[in-house]
Amino acid sequence: MSEHAAAALKLPPRVSGEKPEIGHMEEFGVNFARFLMRCNAECGELAEFNMGGQQTVLMSGPEAQEAFLKTLDLKLSRAAAYQATVPVFGKGVIFDAPPEKMKTQLKIQVDALRYQNMKSYSTIISKEVEDWVASWGDEGELDFLDEFLRLTLNTATHCLLGADFRYQLTDEFRELYHALEKGLQAIAFVDPYMQQPIFDARDKARERLQELIGGIIAERRANDGVAYGDALETFMAGTYADGSHLDDNEITGLVIATMFAGHHTSSGTATWTLTELARQQPYADEVLQELQALFGDGTPITFESLREIPRLERFIEEVLRLHPPLILLMRRVIEDIDYNGTLIAAGKTVAISTFGSHRNTDYFPDPERFDPHRPKPDTLFAYIPFGGGPHKCAGNAFAMMQLKAIFAALLPRYEFELVDPDESYQDDFSAMVLKPSGPCRLRYRKRC
Amino acid sequence: MAMKILVDLALCQGHSVCLGEAPEVFDVVDQDEGYPQVKVLLENPPEALREKVMNAARYCPNNVITVLEDQ
Repeated sequence: MSEHAAAALKLPPRVSGEKPEIGHMEEFGVNFARFLMRCNAECGELAEFNMGGQQTVLMSGPEAQEAFLKTLDLKLSRAAAYQATVPVFGKGVIFDAPPEKMKTQLKIQVDALRYQNMKSYSTIISKEVEDWVASWGDEGELDFLDEFLRLTLNTATHCLLGADFRYQLTDEFRELYHALEKGLQAIAFVDPYMQQPIFDARDKARERLQELIGGIIAERRANDGVAYGDALETFMAGTYADGSHLDDNEITGLVIATMFAGHHTSSGTATWTLTELARQQPYADEVLQELQALFGDGTPITFESLREIPRLERFIEEVLRLHPPLILLMRRVIEDIDYNGTLIAAGKTVAISTFGSHRNTDYFPDPERFDPHRPKPDTLFAYIPFGGGPHKCAGNAFAMMQLKAIFAALLPRYEFELVDPDESYQDDFSAMVLKPSGPCRLRYRKRC
Repeated sequence: MAMKILVDLALCQGHSVCLGEAPEVFDVVDQDEGYPQVKVLLENPPEALREKVMNAARYCPNNVITVLEDQ
């Protein structure tokens, strides 16, 4: 945009409470979900704040969120906003790949989530859930934050890397994965290459993980013609426009990226779903009756039988409204934007908050109340737990299928109750992916 | 009344549920760049395929498919 044209536009209102040097970092760090709600309440549709020097414009409301979600990478770049993922996923992978390669890598990632693979995954997940509950006995007490982290790590590795790898899942793999997770905390979004022990550990873990996954790749190349039905098979088969295959680094990167997209998001949501099932009794009973009607006659849990479970779906959707696992979505502004007469200049970051959007009283009256019977908004851009538009989370169907598979198996067999006082089950805002504050203890008892 | 199929390609990521449910009506084809996308083979499918078409629309993870009833 020319200087003259830009000068004719307004600037976004600025959020109060800025401090020298750090801007709003401190308040953001305490509880970023609530901070973003304050920005919106104070400034309205556009609210500019300062993240340690990076000027960031929060866009709120369905119209602004639609503009954010529908604008393509050329103008609003995901890659520039998510550089912290580069050392985790790997050099040359997704947000570090040239645009053409990035598109192909994302396409190959989605190939692994297509219809035939999904059928295979639903079988795998049902088996994992059965194996998990097999040792439960008639009653007991568990920390489900831990339990679901483990279950979803098992399902994720099983669906991604195959049965052999899953059943040889070592403590080493868990530690490497954990080291990568620690390399993606908030500070990495300021500068992921600072001299920091967590970043050294991250880089070593990335290297070792490639050796491990490279080992499976080499083994599979030697056993050409075997069908595995997992994502690794799809990643190895994928090709770029010139017909070349992904190399070990890129395949490892896609495996890691897929784990990061799906693991904590799913385990956090599963934990919240079970917690809400335990404390929203009338609604939980409705779900139970539905599951008994659908599966009580011994109908097996399969891809087909999981496709339509409306009450359970509404229940999970309400969990995702109140506890969206990814709160903050970001893009970097590549070209000046004129948003309804306001200039959002190149170089700034724009952001939307799913958490805030889901508490917009125009669309969700009495927003803190859990109510799976709420009418759906008449816009696609108010309820956005998976984002929306061309870059919507491609794992949304996988996520819903997995959650339904878990609760269709659990709920008819066991009843659950909270162990601790109701108010001790709260959102934990200390990590970038939302989850309940641990421990998340529930008691279970076999239904008669 | 006849069915008429509309698709919103801005939302399609090529999950291929439609192809699995109603291969007579939908294909998913590679694009020059980005995700493969749905291609409608029969814009006005015959009544015999109604259930399959409705399942394709209902189970599409991205709500890409709309089925209109043509007068």
